[in-house]
Amino acid sequence: MPARPANSTENPATRVSTRPLPFSPAFCSRMLSDLLLRDFRCFTECRVPLHPETTLFIGRNAQGKTSLMEAACVLLRLQSPRTSQKGELIRLGATTMLVEGTLDGKKVRCAQSATARRLAIDGAVCGRSGDYLAQSGLVVWMDHRDMNLLRGGAEHRRRYLDFAASQMFPDYLKALRGYERAVRGRNYVLKRDAVIQWRQADAFAGVMDEFAQVLRDRRQSLMDSVRPHVAKVHHDLSTGAEAVEVSYVPGFSGASLAEELAARRDEEGRNRQTAAGPHRDDLTLTLNGLDASTYASEGQQRSAALALKVAQARVLEEAAGKPPLLLLDDVFGELDAQRRRALLGLLPPGTQKIITTTTLDWARDEVVGGMVYGVEVGVVKQIEAGEIL
Amino acid sequence: MAALDYPPPLRRLIAQLKTLPGLGPRSAERMMLWLMHDAGRIEPLVDALADVTTRVHACDDCGFFIENGQECALCRNPKRQQRILCVVEQPSDVLRLERSGAFHGLYHVLGGKLSPLDNVTPEDLRIEPLLARVKSLHAEEVILAVGSDVEGEATAGYLNELLRAEGLSVTRLAQGLPAGGALDHVDELTLYQALQGRRKL
Repeated sequence: MPARPANSTENPATRVSTRPLPFSPAFCSRMLSDLLLRDFRCFTECRVPLHPETTLFIGRNAQGKTSLMEAACVLLRLQSPRTSQKGELIRLGATTMLVEGTLDGKKVRCAQSATARRLAIDGAVCGRSGDYLAQSGLVVWMDHRDMNLLRGGAEHRRRYLDFAASQMFPDYLKALRGYERAVRGRNYVLKRDAVIQWRQADAFAGVMDEFAQVLRDRRQSLMDSVRPHVAKVHHDLSTGAEAVEVSYVPGFSGASLAEELAARRDEEGRNRQTAAGPHRDDLTLTLNGLDASTYASEGQQRSAALALKVAQARVLEEAAGKPPLLLLDDVFGELDAQRRRALLGLLPPGTQKIITTTTLDWARDEVVGGMVYGVEVGVVKQIEAGEIL
Repeated sequence: MAALDYPPPLRRLIAQLKTLPGLGPRSAERMMLWLMHDAGRIEPLVDALADVTTRVHACDDCGFFIENGQECALCRNPKRQQRILCVVEQPSDVLRLERSGAFHGLYHVLGGKLSPLDNVTPEDLRIEPLLARVKSLHAEEVILAVGSDVEGEATAGYLNELLRAEGLSVTRLAQGLPAGGALDHVDELTLYQALQGRRKL
């Protein structure tokens, strides 16, 4: 059964005007007002109108809730936090997936087959993904895996940096891809021969150097803007009891990566891998001066992870001048009532949110104005407010 | 009973076609079908291939193709500047640069670029001949006209180290705005590089 459009009592325009918003023009214009999925993951075809503020998807596990949010993320950023294999997005048995939406009044469309991708804005084909992304919106994705920002390895924290920086800086993604390719080539040279061909390794170090400068500059300036927000948000979440400090630890310290690698030749000769560079970047978090990954409690770590993500949303908003789309995958169910309320209050005002949850118990206590959908085995239908409350 | 397949000669043809770059098993099969559809299609192809093997070879100096028994129109042309050398990846790049009409020196085809991940090492490229040639020509400048992707840049860095040790002036092609284009057709990255490489008027 197709989803019904929003009923007239929920006219977005009237809702907006009743609220004092510092940047209401951006709010009114920048939103994803509907989403169409075709042969995407478990969905054969699905059209969902989205609410300008909050859209809730309720359902049991493995019904397709997260896939709906993933579709929004793919549509806006052409990447998914769940997979780097584009083929996985296509429904089993289908050859091409399609996601379409209305962003800011413009029709944006992304279609992907096993080998090719087609992007279009307002029907005009977009050849370069850079052009498409420049016109698209920004996204923040929050889910239970955010705990890995504290407990997991450094690759989780680098992915956090990459996800935000690639949305803020147009040259970031190209530098990242180029850097990764150059490191792979260099590591292969270091491993390949019994006697290492240093001249070749140095040639690749030279290529890495240029990309590394871009990555370090961008990550540094991203973290410079994130740091105060993390401290502030965590301060508010813990009602002033805890002080969190986050800092960026670059994987090379000198002015030139090539020189630093040349100085560490012995080490590289022994380990046969590139000893320094942005692929070894990390973030450190301290809580009241102590290392948060070891000393913070479960709840404190959860708050710190949330703070990092909320800070990301605020920084993206500052950078773009418009709030990002927030995708919250089963985040609220795990929080106690106080943290839930605090988190809702801390999200940048006027942002559009898509939330998935397995139960609405928690939402009865909160003021969650918006549309509510039930998701069951790849079928989405709108739920009347009276049915759940 | 064995599963039915094409007769062995056809299978061999498909296997050969499949070794061509950019051709997978399906494309190779389609080409075989196209060739078999009309017997007249095979003869000209065989003829052309035989012609290539007997009448063409690569110039020992620059690496561009010449007909047997003829002199290299590039290397043996006294009108060309003998002390400036342009290094390119493929013979097709020679034609492209020639058509631009902006270069009147000598060429040197590498035959690829340094790419450890594709198992291309300096020994697979014509780098030794390049160094020998630079010495015998007493070259003053070497222009590195290889691509600007990761492998191309690495190749340029590698050659730069070798050639500068010989006391040569080494240059690289500029990057920036396409000729005659307005700014609105250029992506941010190209624009960024064009700004970095701006020049004084």
